Amino acid sequence: MSHFCRTQTIGLRMRRFLGIVLLVGIFVATAGMGPALRGKVYIKTLEGRHYQLIADGRPYVVKGVCYNPVPIGQTHDYDFWNDPKEPWLLDGALMQKMGVNTVRFYQPGDDLEATKRVVRALYEKFGIRTMMGHWLGFWNYPAPFYDDPAFRQKVKDDVLAMVKALKDEEGILFWCLGNENNLSFGGNINPWSSERIDRMEDPRRCLLARAEVYYAFVNDIAKAIHKVDPDHPVAMGNGETVCLDVAREHAPDVDILGVIMYRGKTFGNIFASLRSTYDKPLVFVEFGADAYNAVTQEEDEDMQAFFLKSQWSEILANVAGKTEGEGNCLGGAAFEWTDEWWKHDEGAAALRHDTASNWSNSAYYMDIKAERNMNMNEEWFGIVRLSEEKESGVDKRTPRKAYYEIRELWKGESI
Amino acid sequence: MRKVLSILLLAALVAFCRQGLYAAEGKAFCVYTDNRSPDNHYIPSGWMGDTGDISMDDKYMGEPHAGSTCIKFVYTARRSGGQGWAGVYWQNPANNWGSKKGGFDLTGLNKLTFWARGEKGGEIIDKFCVGGIKGTYPDTTEVSIGPLELTSTWQQYTINLAGKDLSYIVGGFCWVANADYNLEGLTFYLDDVRFDADATLKPEAKKAAAMPFYIYADKGGMVNHFIPAGWMGDYNDLKINLGSDENPYFGETCIRIAYSNEATNGARWAGIYWQNPANNWGSIDAGYDLSQAKKLTFWAHGEKGGERIEEFKVGGIMGDFSDSDTAAIGPVVLEKDWKKYEIDLSGKDMSFIIGGFCFSTNLDVNPDGATFYLDEVRYE
Repeated sequence: MSHFCRTQTIGLRMRRFLGIVLLVGIFVATAGMGPALRGKVYIKTLEGRHYQLIADGRPYVVKGVCYNPVPIGQTHDYDFWNDPKEPWLLDGALMQKMGVNTVRFYQPGDDLEATKRVVRALYEKFGIRTMMGHWLGFWNYPAPFYDDPAFRQKVKDDVLAMVKALKDEEGILFWCLGNENNLSFGGNINPWSSERIDRMEDPRRCLLARAEVYYAFVNDIAKAIHKVDPDHPVAMGNGETVCLDVAREHAPDVDILGVIMYRGKTFGNIFASLRSTYDKPLVFVEFGADAYNAVTQEEDEDMQAFFLKSQWSEILANVAGKTEGEGNCLGGAAFEWTDEWWKHDEGAAALRHDTASNWSNSAYYMDIKAERNMNMNEEWFGIVRLSEEKESGVDKRTPRKAYYEIRELWKGESI
Repeated sequence: MRKVLSILLLAALVAFCRQGLYAAEGKAFCVYTDNRSPDNHYIPSGWMGDTGDISMDDKYMGEPHAGSTCIKFVYTARRSGGQGWAGVYWQNPANNWGSKKGGFDLTGLNKLTFWARGEKGGEIIDKFCVGGIKGTYPDTTEVSIGPLELTSTWQQYTINLAGKDLSYIVGGFCWVANADYNLEGLTFYLDDVRFDADATLKPEAKKAAAMPFYIYADKGGMVNHFIPAGWMGDYNDLKINLGSDENPYFGETCIRIAYSNEATNGARWAGIYWQNPANNWGSIDAGYDLSQAKKLTFWAHGEKGGERIEEFKVGGIMGDFSDSDTAAIGPVVLEKDWKKYEIDLSGKDMSFIIGGFCFSTNLDVNPDGATFYLDEVRYE
């Protein structure tokens, strides 16, 4: 045996030995973790004010999708939590293959036991954790009355019931309060007010008063959750960056800023600008692109994949430890896992995959020249497409190009 | 040693070939020298906007810069097509908007020069540009200069193309003017439009603009920047007069904006972006570096008082090239008298701004529409 070969063999043995030592180390570390660390999720602040999410003692980058598995023909009030066909089993397997580690639910089901079963199945079978949301009564009818103490108490009780029921599930990652509720401050969606606020007359003062009321309310709930469940952080789902300067004063106890943002190819300057407005760990709780080209009037997987890949690249460049970014991003949950056929027009139209656009956004410039610039197709945001053909009893899922592109992007990242 | 020399020779040959045909021959590549000149390339066939407002004489013999003819353009600004702007592209082949193969490989050339003069002086051209045609076979670059205020004598202008990819150019040259800056229309002349190679030319670096930086000071002033070209929502319900003499806050004119309550386009809201260049929704790498700005200030008042503007904004255009940041104030209820407003830019990244200023409002808060005035819009 030559000197070279001997060196090689010794090197091989050495590597094996080190491998065994490492394995034993991991085993000891995991075994020694105990109930105190298992399931615990928290934010760690690193050098340079980089923020890192830690779950079960390990850094965790949220590689998520928004998940609302409403079957073809059903509408927004469908109780998928009790779906006997258990679509999350089919979806969980597909998500796992893609590399998804988190799903975002907007609100638990009325049946919290059923919700618990879904959260548990996703975690135990596929290792997928849950970002559990709550609308905070935003879609109550009539409008949400955040300036009414009785309304606030009712919503708070409901949130705490959710937390108490689900907090011991190992699959829970963190709580996410609200979803674009701040866009109601200016009265653009779900307008609400009170006599006290209306007396201010000046619309800017009214807007700021609503912001103060709402963010103080979110802060109050965050503090209450911390008492009940110290093991999971609390995020707030904010539409864009609207009124975050008010949140800085009135919602200091929120742990994570969840942002809903549709800015096309880039998130712009948000990573840096948050430092001076609301310096919290950032997670994108909604972003993405639709897969329908409103100009060519055809499905356009390339367009969707282009935007999603660009968005994910920016997210990954800004997670903790990356020198090129701000280090304040925890990851994101892309909107969304499957198409939803009910969104443009409910009722009988839920059986049809509508191609009509619901809104306009020039940041998605590839099809902005559609008629009246209406280019956003709400029923076509799925990373997987649905078809009426059945697979394991549920609507068949077919991954779009974005599924594979993001999978490859995640694979290539050391996160 | 022979092998090394061969490799070096081959590398030099490859580098030489990559310089492109025109540079290699040391020739200019002419767009227009004289009428019917065999040296001319590209055809002025791409008429845009209010095409009925344009007339062209490409064999005009009155005082050409050189040779026997120049091109005379008359733009009446009558808004015959309701666009409020017009322009002409020189294309190859004629009428090619990127739907078919054509164009020229101009690699190796790095500037376009042309001579221009206005009939009276003071005519404002929004932009002169090279490239920018989209479509299935798009130009490989777009570079523009402007707005430019012409003088009554011939002046030479240069579009710096150093560092740009000129390997496929369908739209060899273009000009655009708008009715708001030229209320009475304009007549201007062009001559000796040509591409050249200039070994001393360096790629143009974007410089941080000095403050104050005006968006609007007075009508037609060259101090103005950005063009109010990004009309949104019910754009047919908007009328803008950039030369209103109704009680300006300062100077001779102010901006008058009238928003009618017809919801003509079915949106129930409307707004305008001031862009650079005009109609840039993030498709063109242009804009200004406003990183020295600490705030944007402007004066505004309503015709009656009580008009509500939902948002005044800077930045926020997102596209292939996106504004580096955005900031806004609103809602704002205007008073009958002039009042100063301010958008705070502290902590903002204003290093790349295409959308210099914007307003938006809607019919829910202005059921009878709204007429309001703006003046002295500037970054400080």
